[in-house]
Amino acid sequence: MGKNLSAVVAHIAVIVAIIITLSFAGAFAEGASAGQGSDRFTGELEEGAVLRILENDTAIKQGYLEELLDAFNAEYAEYGITAVDANMDQYTDLENDGPYGYGPDVLYQANDRIMRYVDGRHIMPLPVDSIDCLDVVGDQAWMAYSATTDGQANIFGVPVNIQGPLLYYRKDLLPENWEEEWDDDKNGVPDMVEYWTDLYRFSKQRKEESGGKQFGYMRSFLEPYFSVGYLYSYGGYTFGNNNTDPSDIGHSAGNAELGGRVIRQLASVMDERCIDDSVTTGAYSALASGEFFATITTPDVYTMFVDEMKADGYSDEYIAENLVTADIPKLPVSGDLEDESQGFIESKMMGGVNGYAISSYTDYPNAALAFVNFATSYEMVSRRNELLGIVPARSDVASDVGGLSEVINANLEEGNIVVMPSIKENAQIWTPLQTFFQDIAKDPYRSAGEYKYDTLEKIKAALVNVDQQIYDAIFTLRG
Amino acid sequence: MQEAQTTKERKGFSGLGRRIAAYFKALPGRIREKFALAREILSQGNGKVRASMLFMGAGQLLYRQWAKGILYVLVEIAFLMYFILRGASDLLGFFTLGTVESNAWYGIEGDNSVIMMLMGILAWIALLFYAVLYIANIKDCYAIQCAADTLKAPKSFKKELSELLDKKFYKTALALPIVGVSVFSILPIIFMILIAFTNYGGDIVPPALVDWVWFDNFGRILTLGQFAPTFFKIFGWNIIWAVLSTALNYFAGLGLALLLNKKCVKGKTFWRLFPILAYAVPGFITLIAFKYMFSYGGPINQMIVDAGGTAIGFLDIDAKWTARIIGLFANAWLNIPSSMLLATGILSNMNTDLYEAARVDGASAWKQFVKITLPYVLFATMPVLISQFIANFNNFGIFYFLRGGLYMEGYFLASDTDLLINWLYNMSIDNNYYSIGAAISIIIFIVTSVISLAVYVLSPSYKQEETYQ
Amino acid sequence: MKKLKIKPQKLFNVAITYLIILAVCFVFLFPILWLVLASFSKTGSIYSFEGFFPAELSLDSFKRLFTDTALYNYPRWFLNTLFIALMSSLIGTSLTILTAYVMSRFRFKTRKAMMKMTLILGMFPSFMTMTAVYLMMTQFNLINQQWGLILIYSAGAPMGYLTQKGFFDTIPSSIDEAARIDGASNFKIFVRITLPLAAPMIVYTLLSSFVWPWSDFILPQLLLKNKDLYTVAVGLMSLDDTEFSRFAAGSVFIAVPIVVFYFALSKFLISGLSAGAVKQ
Repeated sequence: MGKNLSAVVAHIAVIVAIIITLSFAGAFAEGASAGQGSDRFTGELEEGAVLRILENDTAIKQGYLEELLDAFNAEYAEYGITAVDANMDQYTDLENDGPYGYGPDVLYQANDRIMRYVDGRHIMPLPVDSIDCLDVVGDQAWMAYSATTDGQANIFGVPVNIQGPLLYYRKDLLPENWEEEWDDDKNGVPDMVEYWTDLYRFSKQRKEESGGKQFGYMRSFLEPYFSVGYLYSYGGYTFGNNNTDPSDIGHSAGNAELGGRVIRQLASVMDERCIDDSVTTGAYSALASGEFFATITTPDVYTMFVDEMKADGYSDEYIAENLVTADIPKLPVSGDLEDESQGFIESKMMGGVNGYAISSYTDYPNAALAFVNFATSYEMVSRRNELLGIVPARSDVASDVGGLSEVINANLEEGNIVVMPSIKENAQIWTPLQTFFQDIAKDPYRSAGEYKYDTLEKIKAALVNVDQQIYDAIFTLRG
Repeated sequence: MQEAQTTKERKGFSGLGRRIAAYFKALPGRIREKFALAREILSQGNGKVRASMLFMGAGQLLYRQWAKGILYVLVEIAFLMYFILRGASDLLGFFTLGTVESNAWYGIEGDNSVIMMLMGILAWIALLFYAVLYIANIKDCYAIQCAADTLKAPKSFKKELSELLDKKFYKTALALPIVGVSVFSILPIIFMILIAFTNYGGDIVPPALVDWVWFDNFGRILTLGQFAPTFFKIFGWNIIWAVLSTALNYFAGLGLALLLNKKCVKGKTFWRLFPILAYAVPGFITLIAFKYMFSYGGPINQMIVDAGGTAIGFLDIDAKWTARIIGLFANAWLNIPSSMLLATGILSNMNTDLYEAARVDGASAWKQFVKITLPYVLFATMPVLISQFIANFNNFGIFYFLRGGLYMEGYFLASDTDLLINWLYNMSIDNNYYSIGAAISIIIFIVTSVISLAVYVLSPSYKQEETYQ
Repeated sequence: MKKLKIKPQKLFNVAITYLIILAVCFVFLFPILWLVLASFSKTGSIYSFEGFFPAELSLDSFKRLFTDTALYNYPRWFLNTLFIALMSSLIGTSLTILTAYVMSRFRFKTRKAMMKMTLILGMFPSFMTMTAVYLMMTQFNLINQQWGLILIYSAGAPMGYLTQKGFFDTIPSSIDEAARIDGASNFKIFVRITLPLAAPMIVYTLLSSFVWPWSDFILPQLLLKNKDLYTVAVGLMSLDDTEFSRFAAGSVFIAVPIVVFYFALSKFLISGLSAGAVKQ
């Protein structure tokens, strides 16, 4: 028995010895090899680089990406650099794919998404001196792409496009006598597209006159992106310290409850469809058919409205004349859409900045930087504006294009467009806010005894609860 | 031993407690029995067996069992190679979970904690396999020795191979499924269970290094005041949901199958097509369609409004029970077709003699159903019923698609239609708390598996498998 | 069915049966019909419906589905899905049937433990394990590989063997015993006797293991990054909100292979033992 047992023990001992020696030897070797790396932006273009570019679906659909890639490839053929479509989902998550080698080299996404990659160092800090458009893009847009890491302020993306909401309305649906009845300040602009109080009154009238078949302003409140602005306008904010401090959540700050009441009042002149997302994609055809007089959405969907109106048989000239986009109307200081005695304040809305960033997992950081510079050049950005109707972040393009691009750029610089927080915790704000907006939009449609938000105190309490939920989502379970 | 237990079970269920007691009473004997062979081999094994103990396959080669010997030797070499090349460091990585943080900005490649954990588990599994094969190798060599001692010719390799198609056919048949299930089902579950004991999640995701924190996550869950009320609220609804939806799907499916099986129904294939249509459209698409249909702007509300009514918020924030009921029916709509198909298949295999006899006895149609059809179908589908119960208990899609994106008052990061699995998703995916999510899923897992295991072990299809054989 | 002489009662019975069948069929058809109508709607949006019907009908969305493939390559997705689903269904069904047969007919030491184990394994929330599956596939270099998906679907299929085992349990063992006396091996019995008897179950298994990869979108979304490899489910989910009629058209068309599959196999589905010669 002894001999056999020792044979077994010997075998086990050998295996264990192999494992222990090798594992520690391996760990030791690994520890030795980890040294300090060096800056990867050397300025030397990597020859033979093939850059995988992630663009958004609209750019692909409208043929912009193809143009961009062709232009770049022609220009950089002499360096042996080519750029190709990454051919991935536009919302692809670099954090998941990048480390394993499946991500794109250059990505075009919204600022909240891109900046989520900073903590894990999934995107490269860009060398400021080598960014061509540094001086022509406004500070607020750069703010959306800067963060402090290792005690140093860095820029992580190059802004291309500013997303800010606009009011779309049908000029031909204005009352015949608007110049007498609906233009108190006699500035030649109908009051209902200048002031929320008048838009509210007009909406109420239109709904009543049509027996609930036609509406003035209509938009689903479900999406926080378009609804949180009402809270911002009266002193609310998402995160403190310029949207950088996740421990300070302020949707109930200031008089934000007034914004809540505005939403409730607006909801009452729409119908139940404002509670869920029924009218989000339906708005195009509803505006075209004249069911809605006005709605708010982003600038890049202008063509959607045009297409719908064309389908309804309107001519191009008629559409150009009567489908109007305007700045967001002003809100009453009183926070009551039935009381304009105290004057008006500018509306604040949430916005975003889309731009390019460079993946840390690229083998060709210098070629990628060259691509980003090329894609954000004056020519390419103007072309992008032409094809996609985006609002350029480059102020030189914006002022040359004029119109709404200028308005939105100005709104951004003046702080009337509040850029979505660029910190990772931003991902946790949506569900609590969405719940609240659904709840308060539903309130006018509850039966009289069951109102949940008929006083400002109740709205305030609900907002405090929203902030608490966001706080919980971010911190309560954190170790 | 196992067979004896089965016979006892066949006599009927005689108290869970008594069975557990009996199990433990038999345990020492069982262990002794297990080790009897080991003791025998250790004391009786000869030099050639010892050779196999030192190096797999050596003894078999000495006995001139070439094919088997070479196979074992190759296995030994392959495992040694694996451990030398990566297994050893994977095993260490399992404990450290990485020491060097990677920094992609400077091209520093460090450790990826989660990958290390995964590969570490794989290395443990490999080690386990190695041990199993090592023991099999010794047993095999000892069997050859016994055969040689009694002057019997040892089994030829060919004979052993042909046994794999006959007496040991189960080994052949199960080899592939077991490997597949181990790698793609068990390994990920072990991984997730282990995650519950780390601090993976929140800010600590690769490239940050993950660490073992043992029971911290469970401690945090138990001390969090908001956790328990939400858990029990959701758990209660989850049970109701699972029972109702399973019963509804099952009986409606069975009913439909019986209905379409009736002799008077002509064109069965055609009628069956309608449920099949529902089956053919992917579930998530149907759910999206249902959501639109029941939305304020959807066709149902449009019809209500056109008829002069006011729109109903079927799925909105106040719609707790309407939404739950819609969920129940949407789920039934999705699942009845497959349970109908199953019931049709099973019914087609039924012995019709019983009905003849019943008819002769003048039993009513209802009586025939209760006394003949139902026991038969229940017997054949009890395991299915349980797995459907489990599937419904963990039905993620229904309320995610129908009514996602709500956090209700009184619930901690959940809504009143959410099931535990939706809540888990909110916490672990939406809010990034992987380790907490894993800890909660272990709790849920234990609760639900105890319930369903008890039901299963008590069911006739488990206790009396041979009833219809 | 009792043979009743009183005709009116039988007629009544038949009428009620058909009435219920019609009602059931309507319930199953209604949402599908709506989806079909949406796919024929001229404008892309579902909210330009007038009540239940779209304002204007056209074949445009189907035309665009198959021709406008620059961004949304539906024909490609369709073929990808077909390949993955067919392969997974064939491999998965073989493994499942084999497992179920063995678990039903053989008695071996670890059997009961395995039965309980598989039951419990299904209880673990599957999305929680997705992270692990993804990480594993990155290590095996199986991201952006259709075979990676097929591997996972096929390997997961035997987990659902309980359904088939329940079926095998109802096949009288006297049949195999007779064969065994004639000297057939277990493998032969399985191939020659059990398999033909199990035709309805095999069809059911084929169908259900075809439907899973056919309609799953979680795994392909996780493992297939390249748009050219997308399956229909992932592709449809990536469609823009404003493309509802295209979404509907794609959803309607995706049902076609399963319906074809059903028609091709339906005669096996209902021709089990009852139609066959073997009785206990």
